[in-house]
Amino acid sequence: MSKDKDISPPELIKDRGALHPINHMKDSIMDLLISFGFEIVNGPEIETEKFNFDMLNIKKSHPARQMHDTFYVEKKSNLLRTHTSPVQIRGMLEKKPPLAFISGGKVYRKDDDSTHLPMFHQVEGIYVDKNVSFAQLKDLIYKIIHSLFGDNIELRFRPSYFPFTEPSAEVDILSKEGKWLEILGCGLVNPIVLENCSIDANKYSGLAFGLGIERIAMLKHGVTDIREFYKSNLDFLSQFK
Amino acid sequence: MKIAYRHLVQHIKESPSIEEISESLFQLGHEHEIEGTLFDIEFTPNRGDCLSVNGLLRDLSVFYTVETNQEIYSSEIEELQLDFENLLPDVCPRITFLKLEIDKNPNLYKEYLDNYFKDLNLNKNNFFTDISNYLSYETGQPTHCYDSNKINGKIVFSELDTNEEFVTLLDKKINLTEKNSVFSINNEVINLAGVVGGKNTSCSSKTMSVLVECAFFKPEAIMGKSLKYDIKSEASHKFERYVDPNCHDMVIRRFIKIVSDHTNIKNISIYYNEFEQNEIHKIPVNVHKINKILGIEINKDQYLNYLIKLGFDISEEQISIPSYRSDINNQNDLAEEIARIIGYDNIVTDELTIPQSKISNKSDIEDKLRFFLLDQGFYEVINSPFVHNSFDDSIKIDNPLDSNKEHMRTNIIDSLLENLTFNERRQKDSIKLFEISDIYTKEDNQIKKTRRLGVIASGRVGHNHEEFSKNINRKYLSDKFNDELPNENFNFKVLNRETINTKIKNEIVVSEVNIDSFSPEILNYKHKSKPPKSFNQYFAISDLPYSKRDLSFSIKDYSSCDTLKEYIMGFEDKLLKEVFIFDYFYNKKNEEIKIGFRFIFQSADSTITESQVSDRMGVIINHTKNIKGVKIPGLK
Repeated sequence: MSKDKDISPPELIKDRGALHPINHMKDSIMDLLISFGFEIVNGPEIETEKFNFDMLNIKKSHPARQMHDTFYVEKKSNLLRTHTSPVQIRGMLEKKPPLAFISGGKVYRKDDDSTHLPMFHQVEGIYVDKNVSFAQLKDLIYKIIHSLFGDNIELRFRPSYFPFTEPSAEVDILSKEGKWLEILGCGLVNPIVLENCSIDANKYSGLAFGLGIERIAMLKHGVTDIREFYKSNLDFLSQFK
Repeated sequence: MKIAYRHLVQHIKESPSIEEISESLFQLGHEHEIEGTLFDIEFTPNRGDCLSVNGLLRDLSVFYTVETNQEIYSSEIEELQLDFENLLPDVCPRITFLKLEIDKNPNLYKEYLDNYFKDLNLNKNNFFTDISNYLSYETGQPTHCYDSNKINGKIVFSELDTNEEFVTLLDKKINLTEKNSVFSINNEVINLAGVVGGKNTSCSSKTMSVLVECAFFKPEAIMGKSLKYDIKSEASHKFERYVDPNCHDMVIRRFIKIVSDHTNIKNISIYYNEFEQNEIHKIPVNVHKINKILGIEINKDQYLNYLIKLGFDISEEQISIPSYRSDINNQNDLAEEIARIIGYDNIVTDELTIPQSKISNKSDIEDKLRFFLLDQGFYEVINSPFVHNSFDDSIKIDNPLDSNKEHMRTNIIDSLLENLTFNERRQKDSIKLFEISDIYTKEDNQIKKTRRLGVIASGRVGHNHEEFSKNINRKYLSDKFNDELPNENFNFKVLNRETINTKIKNEIVVSEVNIDSFSPEILNYKHKSKPPKSFNQYFAISDLPYSKRDLSFSIKDYSSCDTLKEYIMGFEDKLLKEVFIFDYFYNKKNEEIKIGFRFIFQSADSTITESQVSDRMGVIINHTKNIKGVKIPGLK
């Protein structure tokens, strides 16, 4: 046997890990929005009623404030934020317009089934400037959806209701199976919310939007049961390298 | 709410098809499903005014010619001398009672009333309750019917703040707790306001004299009561979403008319109780503002015409908001009305350019750490913050979803340990996980937030010929991390396995560190891992057990080594989950290469059998034994 034959060991294939698909999706969306001009603001997951509800024009009588929808902590002194919107309130109180914020992270609601979990993730954005219109909001939403799902995706805007936006809309995309799937909520910032943050609503207007990360990740990866994301199963996690 | 197509279309001159109405409803923001000839509509919580046939017709009148020709009793009604006291005018600023006596109960209902029960597949109850239910469907105003012969005393509307048993008209016993707005006679509750009436005063098929209560309750007084007492109440659903405070006279007169359509009325009398005038809310006409909000160009005539169609009154450049539209308060609300009529999809986009922010505020250190850990083979996990175990500094959830998990976690490691044992039970022999999360604790009665990294590792170092035979231990991990990031202290610890129910003996190494303890020097680390370029399609996971086989080869002709590797690593079978080289050795003395492969099989449908595995291994062996210079030691 000739000695110049190759006896080098096989290529060392080292197993690299993977980002969690939800965090990866969140990062991707945040990066996209940063490229549009937004900056990140962060805030706590344990919030006060003032920031989570009052400042956002969610009245005392709103069902979301009930014990069956919201987790309260430490004898109702605080709550687990039900959306990332309070972060934007904190941002608006700190800075003056024009401003463009995004916030992403965990939010909590009292739900638990194959499509809802008590903990899930949102990314929300807000842009406040002079003369921001619904037609401009639509332009931004088209850009976001086309970046996420491709330019050929069909989408529609439906009137909806959020206390913190007016007009409010929900946006659906048309699936390959021909079904409309709700993908995000958006609207023009309710002038009451701007005034709550000491922003002159006669001078400034704003747009806001929010996306549920799990829902988009489920669609993009073809995951049908939201609970799979949080079992920490290596057979699941290793599929997202 | 279910509304029958024919109950709508009978009032629409153009007679649109069910599909045409469906399209109009979507444009107006009334999401729904069509079930046969019924619309099952999910109204947004601000549109309590649409929770009836008439309410929905008001909205549809922007697209169609709507004629609601429901007749009402138009004669004068004598005053009812009712012994009633309202101790909660803030909760119920308006209430009307109608006392009505009939000759006899009708045997048959008129077509319009009968169709309501047939079309919506509802059960009839008794004459007066049936009219009350129908009227709520038609007008949106819930009414409650008491058998007036059972009203023996002064009716008081007040707040009950003591525990009391209450039997509903559906014979359900509930314990009223905390504060409740109730109607009572001699301190006995006869009606949980806005939710459900009591059995003690309810109507029956024998009732000939009825006392009809028609009230306006403030939504916050009714909110959550039906859920609290587990009562399915259409009335509370409507009161929670605001009913028209100005409709009482019309509703009561319609009630009388429906009764008179069916039987002879002997006596009618009415009692009004009004503590608060409903002020007409006005907003100035400002079409320029509407155009600015929406980014459109409509003229003033078009704008006002749309509003008039929706029932708004315009005079002296002021828009009077109808009493049933509690959701309209400012110009943005009016803009939404116009957008709904135009159609959101018909508003042309206007390019938005946001000035680029100079800062992104991305957490670079955290991101760098994540990619460093990916390079070391760690997988990122996300865990729920709700746990069973509590410590002095734990934050307690007042209303947990699971009473077994009523605290917020105070560390990440406990969650990671659960993840580790979960994966060990799934026969994983190399487990490396990490999580970055905010952790909340109590400190001097204040809530404290820290952002932390948690790391856990156990089992084999890796699935390759160099790392397969090495086990993760504290020294290995400390040295490895120290080599890569010499300035960071992960402070690895070994976790005691005694608290875990497992036979596995591998060392469990953990670390939990505050993110702010890492130095900016970490940003100099050049990571090799990258986020995936695309979003992989997920394949469903099998929960069935694995079966593994090892196969070792002896190779004298080195040139065959690549042929062997290519065949085995490229072998495809739906039961073969993973294959890797776990051993490689060059024996200089014998001038031969020893190479070992591990095969892991798993079925998605049933527990994998010995013969299924043997069949696959047989194919591999038959092929590889014929490769020149390759032998399988021990194979006969």
